Amino acid sequence: MSLLEIKNLNVKYKVEGKEINAVRNISLNVEAKDSIGIVGESGSGKSTLAMAILRLLPEKIVETTGEIIFDGINLLEISENKLRKIRWKDISVVFQKSMNSLSPVHKIGFQIKDIYKVHEPNATDEEIKEKVLELFKLVNLADRVYDLYPHELSGGMMQRVSIALSLIFYPKLLILDEATTALDVVTQGQILDEIMKLQEKLHLTRIMITHDVSVVSSTCKKVAVMYAGYLLEFGYVSDVLTKPKHPYTQGLLKSFPSFTGERKDLRGIKGSLPDLSILHGGCIFADRCEEATSICFREKPKMVKFSDSWNVACHLVVGEDYE
Amino acid sequence: MKGYIGKRIATGILTIIFSFCFTFFLIRYAPGNPIKVLAGTENPNPELIEHLTVKYGLDKPIIVQFTNYIKNILKGDLGYSYMSNEPVIKLIKEKIFPTLLLTLTSSIISVIVGTFLGVHAARKVGSIFDRIMCGISYIIDSTPGFWLGLIFIIIFASTFKILPTSGMHDLRADNEGFARVLDVIRHMILPVGTLSILQIPLYFRISRSSVLQTMSEDFITTLRATGMKESRIFNKYVLKNAIIPTITMFSLSLAFTISGVALIEIVFAWPGMGRLIMEAIKKRDYPLLTGIYLIISICVCVAMIVTDIIYALIDPRIRLE
Repeated sequence: MSLLEIKNLNVKYKVEGKEINAVRNISLNVEAKDSIGIVGESGSGKSTLAMAILRLLPEKIVETTGEIIFDGINLLEISENKLRKIRWKDISVVFQKSMNSLSPVHKIGFQIKDIYKVHEPNATDEEIKEKVLELFKLVNLADRVYDLYPHELSGGMMQRVSIALSLIFYPKLLILDEATTALDVVTQGQILDEIMKLQEKLHLTRIMITHDVSVVSSTCKKVAVMYAGYLLEFGYVSDVLTKPKHPYTQGLLKSFPSFTGERKDLRGIKGSLPDLSILHGGCIFADRCEEATSICFREKPKMVKFSDSWNVACHLVVGEDYE
Repeated sequence: MKGYIGKRIATGILTIIFSFCFTFFLIRYAPGNPIKVLAGTENPNPELIEHLTVKYGLDKPIIVQFTNYIKNILKGDLGYSYMSNEPVIKLIKEKIFPTLLLTLTSSIISVIVGTFLGVHAARKVGSIFDRIMCGISYIIDSTPGFWLGLIFIIIFASTFKILPTSGMHDLRADNEGFARVLDVIRHMILPVGTLSILQIPLYFRISRSSVLQTMSEDFITTLRATGMKESRIFNKYVLKNAIIPTITMFSLSLAFTISGVALIEIVFAWPGMGRLIMEAIKKRDYPLLTGIYLIISICVCVAMIVTDIIYALIDPRIRLE
């Protein structure tokens, strides 16, 4: 059984009379101990997807439909109280802006201790401190960080604190939402290495949200390509990133320098993201797709399945359907 | 932290010295002449004018007057009022207590009530309570204070006769001890009520917007993601982060009300600094005015220093400077 099963997930933001479809009909399976990278440009709905899994979207203006089944429980249906017990203990997250991810007027140790006590109210202060310092060591942080305030740390150190914090309960699922985007490449490399080591050690399942394809290619097993709220292609990194089937993935990869082989000219994808408040009849990418035919504008493409759970949503990709 | 406090105190002292020098010369260069007021405007006697000018040292160059004044202050002598011939320090002592009683009580009441209402409105943003309170706060903001005071006098003192119209205590009753305290409190209700109602909207709006802003910070999302209860997040994290602008507002308004309370004091015939200042300005009572300004600037600076220290205790980022 999959650890996390997302079925037909739709997320709509309702603002100023408009409905913005940030996530459209996404289905995704995450197996235990998987590492999945979700890539896409800004506004493609990656973060919304992550926040929807955690149910952290503002409920007043957001409508979420579909199913998010984690460990056999549909997270969208359970009560707030039950959800609170799952949060952080089973699913934790490292946020994009780590610099602001803790309260600026409380000491780091105080906050981590407080968060630990949410799920382990009977733990003693010494016990918690010992555990936290152990985690600090794992992510290469000095003990003194425990008694510092967030502003006294550098961006990289705060990132490590966030990672340590996300691991205090050894969660089953760890979501990293652009967790290393704000860092320089050297620090990013170090932290990614640490995360991969920790994953081995703690048997984590990891979802990594990023717009940096190279991060996914070096740290993840599988990759999901999102565009304007749609999942366009999903599969093993070794398949999707080397011989992409979807024209969007191909375009995305052309805009990065290739990992191996000869140097080619970098090319962007012409045009920009479609207006998400308008419903589109055909393929969401048709407007920008160089290979689009008339059917692309008329009908929504179905997910075409290949071996090794390689899924592509494109009219042009046919023939090798194994199902 | 020690360096921080030392710096604040040094800045405070510099501010007092600067504002003292500024007001000293400003008052004396301003049009008007105390001797003319004393000697009377109709048929003044030139000899009397001459005599008074020499007596009060106003014949000397202003720089000499300034150095003499400084010498006297250093001895703890603020001089004598031209009008009443009483020591300035004694006059201020008599009047500063009623003013502080009025301003401190009303400021504390309004900071507590205003912050409470603001926090409550922010928790239920967009609710009927929130909308009504916001509306009321703008109405009060555009209400003149003296008018509100007069209306209160008409309603509570003249019509219902449940509260006294003016003064700080009943002149006819000769109360002692607890009865006197009760009497003062009865007299305080209307002026303190007026001042509080005028200030509550400031604290209401500032705490409301500050709480709303803190609620949208990233770390609140982190705390939510950890499964912490909303009430705990609010009481432990939101409030401490949101209280800082309220403290700024408190010290600013404290400084303002000590001098700006004059109009309300006059409406309620409150024996405070407000009327003393008005009289001193009208009669160009130089020593009294200079003394009052000095005391006010010291009060303001003390309030500022205390605020800065409270700041530093709450927000570690400020200590770093």
